[in-house]
Amino acid sequence: MGLIEGANLDKVYSTATGPLVALTNVSFTINEGEFISLVGPSGCGKSTLLSILGGLEQKTDGDLILAGQHHDAPRRDIGMMFQTSVLFPWRTIRQNVRLPGEILGLDKKQQADRTDELLDLVGLNGFGERFPGELSGGMRQRVALARLLAHDPRVLLMDEPFGALDEFTRETMNVELLRIWEKTGKTVVFVTHNIGEAVFLSDRIFVMTPRPGRLEGIVEVDLPRPRTTEVMRDPRYTEHVYDIRRMLGVDH
Amino acid sequence: MDMSAKSALPGTSTIARDDAVARFIANEKRTAQQRLIRNRLLALGFGLLVIAIWHISTEAGFVHRLIIPSPIDTFWATGRVMSAEYFWPNVGVTLSEIAWGFAIGLSSGVVFGVLVAMFDTVRATIYPYLVALQAPPKIVLAPIFVTWFGFDQPSKIAIAVVMSFFPMFLNTLTGLSSVDPNAVKLMRSLTAGRWKTFRYLLLPNALPIMMAGVKLCWTLAVLGVIVGEFVGASAGIGYLIYAMNFQLDIAGVFSLIILLSVFTLVIYQLIEWLESRIIFWKQL
Repeated sequence: MGLIEGANLDKVYSTATGPLVALTNVSFTINEGEFISLVGPSGCGKSTLLSILGGLEQKTDGDLILAGQHHDAPRRDIGMMFQTSVLFPWRTIRQNVRLPGEILGLDKKQQADRTDELLDLVGLNGFGERFPGELSGGMRQRVALARLLAHDPRVLLMDEPFGALDEFTRETMNVELLRIWEKTGKTVVFVTHNIGEAVFLSDRIFVMTPRPGRLEGIVEVDLPRPRTTEVMRDPRYTEHVYDIRRMLGVDH
Repeated sequence: MDMSAKSALPGTSTIARDDAVARFIANEKRTAQQRLIRNRLLALGFGLLVIAIWHISTEAGFVHRLIIPSPIDTFWATGRVMSAEYFWPNVGVTLSEIAWGFAIGLSSGVVFGVLVAMFDTVRATIYPYLVALQAPPKIVLAPIFVTWFGFDQPSKIAIAVVMSFFPMFLNTLTGLSSVDPNAVKLMRSLTAGRWKTFRYLLLPNALPIMMAGVKLCWTLAVLGVIVGEFVGASAGIGYLIYAMNFQLDIAGVFSLIILLSVFTLVIYQLIEWLESRIIFWKQL
């Protein structure tokens, strides 16, 4: 049995023009320690699915089980990261990373040590006393990554976390994320609309299509780990990207 | 060609280049300074010109001195008013009215803003009425308040409260509502409840807009008190202005207006200084 099990998940919104089906009949299993990406064009329901996994939104129908329990509310063993860093500009970098610990009432001394470790891990040693306004977009996402790990959640839900970064910074962040994931062994669900990014990062890719949002298929990524940008030259990398494009029907 | 020969070429040595950079920076600095001095002189000159025109037109009799006193008359009137026995007690009355009006208007604005922003039930119950009450110019209440609360301080304080309440209320509400949806999601994902979300996210996030409200609140509290004293009072700066105007002591009126402006501006600057202290961060 997987860590997260979804069975026949539906999500329907009621709008002024009638019901809008965001997700229909989505079933999957996610195992502990896996790196999963949700890929698809806008409107395919990938962000909705992520919100449901985070307990921020309720499924309309179906079953969702996390670690053997029914799951329908935010939990402290799940962490979320977004496309914008959502750093609080009135808090220093260190204080931002300590936010989850403060809210959850974790041990102060332990959190102080952990913050130092995390800033080290994301390569921001020495930036602890700076304010978010003094940092570049890439550096802010590094802080967000450190904050994501602060309360040591078991599952990381990431909603296009590098979508607003330029291509070069995004690539650096991908490599960093893999390094951190390999070190910590977290279960990751990563939303993106960048197919190459998904193939580079993931163990498995959930390919989703819109109107209504469905899980079109699951691609197992057959590339060796640990990965570097070298794998982009591997014929299998290109093959996977091509397969996913075909599933999404974006080849013209 | 070796390195020493290369750097010996005129104009290409690093020392010459550093020199050029230093000259350029010094030059930029000088230009900026000169521009600043020039701007200050322009503003000062314009002010002096206006006073000169004022002076000449009163001295030459283009306007009657009784209607518009000369700058010199105004200057002497200021001294006369400030050293008069009646001056300071009246100042005290007005200042305490403004202080009470400002304090009550500000705090009630914040309290109602927080309640309406945080509790849907409160919003549904009173928000429509607050919006409706905001429509008429609050000054229309001045005569009624004098009838209800009398000629003394309470009526002036009431007018100041009613006038300064709304900007503080609306800015608190707007500030608490203008929040990045992802930040709210983040707080929810961390299992933060209403109070923690308020304390860690909504309140600090609202402070810049709330401070803008404080400044409006201050200006309107002063306005409310002075209007109240015009309508009916037996003491205060507004009352003095009214009385002096009636006696055609326009120079005295001018001096009171100047003193009131200086006072209002000083407190305004103090609020701005406080603002720069409270909101020390740069918005993202």
